[in-house]
Amino acid sequence: MEDLQENSHRSFFSDDAEPQANGLLPETIAAKPTPAKFVRKVAIVSIALGLAPAVLTLLAAPFLWEMVFAVWPHSSAPALPYANAQKLQREIRALDRFVVNLQNRFKWLTPREPYLIVNTSANQFFLKSADKILHQGMCSTGSYVLLKASDDRQWEFVTPRGRFRILGKRVAPVWTKPDWAFVEEGLPIPPPHSPQRYEAGVLGEYALELGDGYLIHGTLYKRMLGMPVTHGCVRLGDEELRIVYRNLQLGSKVFIY
Amino acid sequence: MFTAIYNWAQKFLSTKPVRWLRDRSSAAPRRISGWVANVVRPFFEQVRQQRQTRMIFLTAMILPASVMFVLTVLLPAGRAPFDEITNPNTVNAVAQNGEALPPELVEKYAALKVDEAYWQARLKLAKSDAIQLAIDLRDSVVSLDIRGVPVHQAKIHKFKISRAVKRLRSERRLHSWLTNGFTLQKELATLPKAPIRIKEAPRDTIEASETSGEELEIETHDVHFTWHFDRQLTVFVEQVQMPSFTGIFSKGWYNFRRSLGGAGEAILSLVQLKIPRHRLWIELELSRDDAKAIYRALPKHAGLALRL
Repeated sequence: MEDLQENSHRSFFSDDAEPQANGLLPETIAAKPTPAKFVRKVAIVSIALGLAPAVLTLLAAPFLWEMVFAVWPHSSAPALPYANAQKLQREIRALDRFVVNLQNRFKWLTPREPYLIVNTSANQFFLKSADKILHQGMCSTGSYVLLKASDDRQWEFVTPRGRFRILGKRVAPVWTKPDWAFVEEGLPIPPPHSPQRYEAGVLGEYALELGDGYLIHGTLYKRMLGMPVTHGCVRLGDEELRIVYRNLQLGSKVFIY
Repeated sequence: MFTAIYNWAQKFLSTKPVRWLRDRSSAAPRRISGWVANVVRPFFEQVRQQRQTRMIFLTAMILPASVMFVLTVLLPAGRAPFDEITNPNTVNAVAQNGEALPPELVEKYAALKVDEAYWQARLKLAKSDAIQLAIDLRDSVVSLDIRGVPVHQAKIHKFKISRAVKRLRSERRLHSWLTNGFTLQKELATLPKAPIRIKEAPRDTIEASETSGEELEIETHDVHFTWHFDRQLTVFVEQVQMPSFTGIFSKGWYNFRRSLGGAGEAILSLVQLKIPRHRLWIELELSRDDAKAIYRALPKHAGLALRL
């Protein structure tokens, strides 16, 4: 078996020059003209060996660009369309005013009335008015659980991101339990208006509606505040909920990211 | 050069570990040493002894790397990174009549043009309902905006920019690149975009309720990610904190995928008979929490306003 393998190697590399038992070539080989077959083999082997540095060059291209840019000559830009320094100075003053104007236009996009910012990564909220923070604290947002029911239905418990408005304000809210609440507990799903679906006291003193069934509400599980545990709603502590409820009016903006 | 390689190979073959392999009685090392002695050595001996084969060997070995260097490094470096760079609306120190303008005025003008591009891009992005990004390298701040309201601002601890960007700045062509902002095209990261956990009802949820006292698992991912925007802009974000033990491996894997992605892009261009384009990159260092919040919040095809 071994001999067979050695022969197969030999048939590729050394058919023109049989090595001696000690592994050295006959002395006459240097004097002989190189056979074309061997030259071809040399080229194949060397290109194969050269592929490794080629791949390395490809992978290291970003670093090599940096080195090349250090010595690459800069190209010149077309002329400035101003005849002299005075005209340029005037243009700079006008441009300066324009940039300040743009900055002010951007600043005015921030609401002057109270608005809420919710950070779903850190589970924090900020009640702000313009640039001023009125109140900040911990909250709970979506758990990122994908609940799969045995009948192929599924629900993703993620707090939606973007800009929302307060669409409704409720005192002593009653929770209308959706289907997933029963699926999660392994209970049979009752009909739509069954009394089993209504549960009072679990949403805290107040609830603020964001649309599509998402609410800002209180919680019984206060030790979970600051953690991603909800079904998509934003949960606040009692005191924080009171402050937010008092400050946010119908139409107030809520930013969730 | 060839003689040096050959000498080195000879030296290597006579080293202890190779000799040890050759002297072992087991079949595999004997096969290796037999292959080295009967095939590799004679081959290189023959190449060494003949000038013609030596030249062919060296030329053919250098050729693939040289071709690759020219195609993927030199040619892209000489090519404009994006088409808009040829826009004649650029700033130069020479006025139309050939008069030299004061360099400080020209610098100020160029900086104001960049500011103008930044604020216009931010205002344009504010028209969209999606979450947008603003990177202000002059004030070292990254900001997430929703409808023009900065909802999250993070301090940039350190940043690096590529020489290609510095070159654009020195040629006063930056604002033609920055105008209109950028659009996110793809991203690569060491952490998942959304940490989704799957629960099968009722099995998992009943088990979960029985073990409700159990602590919630806290995410410990190290945060490194890359954003590829249009007009050849790439933003690398690294956490300031030292990587964790497992983070070292995930960072290594991420770096490998990053290099592979770049190489793939270059190969794709070459296959389409186009010269690849070099990327203009910016590397930011943010705190882990800020980096995570920004990465998770930014949606697909988000916009970016950049100020340099």
